[in-house]
Amino acid sequence: MSLFKNIFPKKKSRWRTIATVSIASLLGLGAFIAYEAHVTSYLSDDPQACVNCHVMTPVYNSWMHSSHREWATCNDCHVPHDNVFNQYYFKAKDGLYHASIFTLRAEPDVIFMREESEKVVQNNCIRCHVQQITQAKYEDWIESHKSDRLDRTCWSCHRTVPHGRLHGLTTVKYNIAPVPTNQTEVVIPEWLEKEIDESKTAAK
Amino acid sequence: MKNKVLFIVTLVIVFLLGLLASSIINRKNEARYTSYVPQADIMKNDPRNEVWGEYYPQQYQSHLQTSDTNFVSFQGGSAMRDILEEDPNLVILWAGYGFSKDYNQGRGHFYSIEDIHNTLRTGGPDGPNDGPMPSTCWTCKSPDVPRLMNEIGIAEFYDGKWAAKGPQVVNPIGCADCHDANTMKLKISRPALIEAFDAMGKDIKKVTHQEMRSLVCAQCHVEYYFNKNLPGKEGTPYLVFPWKEGMSADDMEKYYDNIEFSDWTHQISKAPMLKAQHPGYETYLTGIHAKRGVSCADCHMPYKSEGGQKFTDHHIQSPLNNIQNSCQVCHREEAEKLKENVYEKQRKVKENRLALEEMLVKAHIEAKKCWDLGATEEQMESILMDIRHAQWRWDFIAAAHGATFHAPTEISRVLASGIVVAQEARVKLARLLAELGHNKPVQMPDISTKEKAQEYIGLDMEELRKDKEKFKENLLPKWLEQAREREQKWNNENVSASAQ
Repeated sequence: MSLFKNIFPKKKSRWRTIATVSIASLLGLGAFIAYEAHVTSYLSDDPQACVNCHVMTPVYNSWMHSSHREWATCNDCHVPHDNVFNQYYFKAKDGLYHASIFTLRAEPDVIFMREESEKVVQNNCIRCHVQQITQAKYEDWIESHKSDRLDRTCWSCHRTVPHGRLHGLTTVKYNIAPVPTNQTEVVIPEWLEKEIDESKTAAK
Repeated sequence: MKNKVLFIVTLVIVFLLGLLASSIINRKNEARYTSYVPQADIMKNDPRNEVWGEYYPQQYQSHLQTSDTNFVSFQGGSAMRDILEEDPNLVILWAGYGFSKDYNQGRGHFYSIEDIHNTLRTGGPDGPNDGPMPSTCWTCKSPDVPRLMNEIGIAEFYDGKWAAKGPQVVNPIGCADCHDANTMKLKISRPALIEAFDAMGKDIKKVTHQEMRSLVCAQCHVEYYFNKNLPGKEGTPYLVFPWKEGMSADDMEKYYDNIEFSDWTHQISKAPMLKAQHPGYETYLTGIHAKRGVSCADCHMPYKSEGGQKFTDHHIQSPLNNIQNSCQVCHREEAEKLKENVYEKQRKVKENRLALEEMLVKAHIEAKKCWDLGATEEQMESILMDIRHAQWRWDFIAAAHGATFHAPTEISRVLASGIVVAQEARVKLARLLAELGHNKPVQMPDISTKEKAQEYIGLDMEELRKDKEKFKENLLPKWLEQAREREQKWNNENVSASAQ
């Protein structure tokens, strides 16, 4: 009982007010951070959420210029798809790890997958390309194609899929592709749109 | 004591949270101000490719390689080929129209200005109001076009003679035709494509990035015509894509028939003719590559690597000159085999194209015979319409060089329908000739070479060449001098102001 009394202030003091203000400022600051960090975007599958953190831009760019762009997003490969709970658990775990490393400024120039991620990606390769691995006609083509999937990764042979052979900041010289600050897609330049509008009204 | 502890703990937590917030904001600014956005200072619509090249040397230098003229394929390539020399029939088919004077296989983008200066089709103007061609002909030739349209207006750009804009349009096709100067993103710089989407009831702003990688090409590599009767712009040859009814050969033919448009009246047969331009985009859309989501840039500008850096190859050319990086990315066959597959398709389609071509030449000359024998306009009307339709379908294929590769099935279908219509015309011609008392084959002239064919249709080639030489000696140097003076005055600051 004495411990309890020692920790909590007396009823007559103004502790409630102070606590309310402190907790509210903490929550407010938390909300501000969540807003600045675009936290909700991480719930989506949009690859642009991954370039919120700009060290991912080279990886984003090399994916963007690969044929996988048309079919598979970051999450299709890098997050497990066996069940939805596992999917978000893994995503949250990976995301928090990324966020901590990035905040500590400990990110390497060249980013490699952790072993855990490699397993996930390998399973996802197989998830979509299962026919290429198991079909009998490919047995003829490359003898070990089927057995290989068990004792090595797909990308130990298909090394350039989908990010290219080289990784890291130097592989893409102009990292112009969508950074969070530059996402508007202007197909028609403003001056031309104005000219066309004027020419339309002149016709009427 | 406990209040002190609570105070200090809260203070530390808030401080750390503040650090985190500041770190996030700093990191976001890092993306904005360090290497993640271009540091280029290029004015809006800057037509000088070399200015862009200072900031993007790899892309620019590969773009310069479009000056290479060493590759010749079965049907195209980058070398300048005299198509009329290779096939004199074309002189007859285009009698009375500019293409009978001079028609070369287009070279790379690098030569877009030089070649239009040199072709006999643009004539030898001696002043701004002289010459056979309108200003509109410049539309696809240079990044000076969006600059000028921005400065003077779209209809004003199309207005007047080709020679009137000569001093203004001097930079060959390049960066500003497809890219935004700030973000380097793809953009549409020509109004005709936007207006065509509008006419079809589509919104060009809703296209994907992959579609944009074809649409920037579709600004120019399409079928188009000059409409002089647009409401509010009467008399101005306004550039329009005939896509309102659809983008197939039949749909565009219907469109032209509905508005009773013809590019010219045929000199020999008097038929109201259509000249197909180069419906590359339209025919590409009907082929298997388009249907599998492959864009123009995927094959004509595949990725290349230099010093470990990956970038888009701006040496825009026939993929057959770069099979390893274009075709073989998807097709794992030998390069020679792939090339042979393409040539085989092209050879087979060409067989039918030449058959239709022969029929058309005969039809034109037989129609002339009918006129000579005193045929009436009423008797000729349906024959001339058949000739118009058959030649349109022939030209649709002949003009779109890549079409036999892009969409061999659709192209064969169009050719077959052309052969049917041409055959119909010749049956009617035979009947009419018999009615007019000529019941035997019509004698064909000797058109075995380009010179003989041009002489047959009465072209004074010597005169044309002389005019051209005069133009190149007198007017052209003045144009280039004026352009040089203008561009010298541009330092990036004051040009941005004048071009805004």
